[in-house]
Amino acid sequence: MNALRLIGILAAKDLRIEYRSRHAFLTTLFFALLILIIFNFAFDPGNQSIKDAAPGILWVSLLFPGVIQLNRSFQSEREEGTLYGLILAPIDRGVLFFGKFLANFFLLALVDLFVLGSFFIFYNLTFSTRLGWLFLLMLLVGIVFSSVGTLFAAMVSSVRARDVLLPILLFPILVPVVIAAVNATREVLGTGELEFFWQWLRLLVASDVVFIAGSFLVFDYVVEE
Amino acid sequence: MQQSATKYPELATAAKWLRAAWWLEIPLLLAFLVALWGAFVYAPTERVMGEVQRIFYFHVGSAAVAFFAFFIVFIAGILYLVRRNVVWDQLAATSVEVGVVFTTIVLTTGPIWAKPVWNTWFPWGDPRVMTTLVLWLIYMAYLILRSSLPEGDKKYKFCAVFGIIGFIDVPIVWMSIRWWRTIHPVVITSEGANLEPRMSQALLMAIAACMLSLAVLTLLRGAMRLNQLVVDRMAQDVIDSKRSVA
Repeated sequence: MNALRLIGILAAKDLRIEYRSRHAFLTTLFFALLILIIFNFAFDPGNQSIKDAAPGILWVSLLFPGVIQLNRSFQSEREEGTLYGLILAPIDRGVLFFGKFLANFFLLALVDLFVLGSFFIFYNLTFSTRLGWLFLLMLLVGIVFSSVGTLFAAMVSSVRARDVLLPILLFPILVPVVIAAVNATREVLGTGELEFFWQWLRLLVASDVVFIAGSFLVFDYVVEE
Repeated sequence: MQQSATKYPELATAAKWLRAAWWLEIPLLLAFLVALWGAFVYAPTERVMGEVQRIFYFHVGSAAVAFFAFFIVFIAGILYLVRRNVVWDQLAATSVEVGVVFTTIVLTTGPIWAKPVWNTWFPWGDPRVMTTLVLWLIYMAYLILRSSLPEGDKKYKFCAVFGIIGFIDVPIVWMSIRWWRTIHPVVITSEGANLEPRMSQALLMAIAACMLSLAVLTLLRGAMRLNQLVVDRMAQDVIDSKRSVA
């Protein structure tokens, strides 16, 4: 079987498990909605300040809950002892990485879609907003988030304090991605020309390439038992 | 004794590092005296910023050393993954500790200088300041990861992986903050690139002194770590031999 098919099988397995329990997905989504709503109480809604803060709030509401999803992807494998099965299976570690990555990426993109809809309603966006570009940003950030996230989730899955450890490891690395995403979103939500948007897009694409390659190269070392 | 040298090869490395640190101690003392003289006496007082600018020499010296220490973490991490020699891991861990100390020095001397000169303690948006801050966050996370893993090959591998990923993040951090800065209007102007010759000489003295202290601290702490490791392993070996007799 070729590698692409194997990756597809692994990702489909994770998605099927998630579809049957919907546990991680619903928790992640609910946490994201909570953040969107809590920020509306923290700032004064209907005020200009919430409009200025909206891009930041959107990204906080996507990235912080995303950690739950990432942790789940290896935690269940460990609890059920199925990680040994995956390690013993005659597949390349790279295939395992991309399978896990793809499942995480897909689930996070699904969360993104729901959050985008809620954001649209809660923050009073209009149909003239460039939502397509916004979703593209979410996908590009999702690639970095899921690649580094899959790597780190595999690392911390054996540690007792994994739920705390994963965000502590992940967010310092994600600082440039957050800067790029928030600033690009500010332009997309505005009405002006997309002046610096392309620059931020380039930065995101570059970090996608760097982090996918980097995580793929070192993934071998984190799943050995 | 002969037997323990072959059984615990880290002992010889630790002894070598201790000897090297011993030889460097007098030069380190002299270098620091010279650098202090350079910063406080030899270098002229800056016309606009005044005496407070003298903190610049050790501020920049510490920054250079911190970046270098994190580069060592990156290289030692790769070497550990390839060679699986525990000495590389202990070198990386030591470099993180020393690097975080120097980064903390940079982040505390910075505000002292920034407040009177730029009228802000912390210039959010300056790429150098922000990159240093993110570095501090990344390597503090490294130390937290390290302390939460049980001793062994797995811990060393994970730390090496995190050190590598953290280091390749640095240029991306730098780019993102530079672009961010060009978009937001900034009140901060960078210090003059053309230093007065006596100032740049004082800076070189400070960098040399800081580099020497990096070397001595790394060697001492690294040797301490290696000895600790060997002692732990010896204790385990004794327990194991007792058990096999019983």
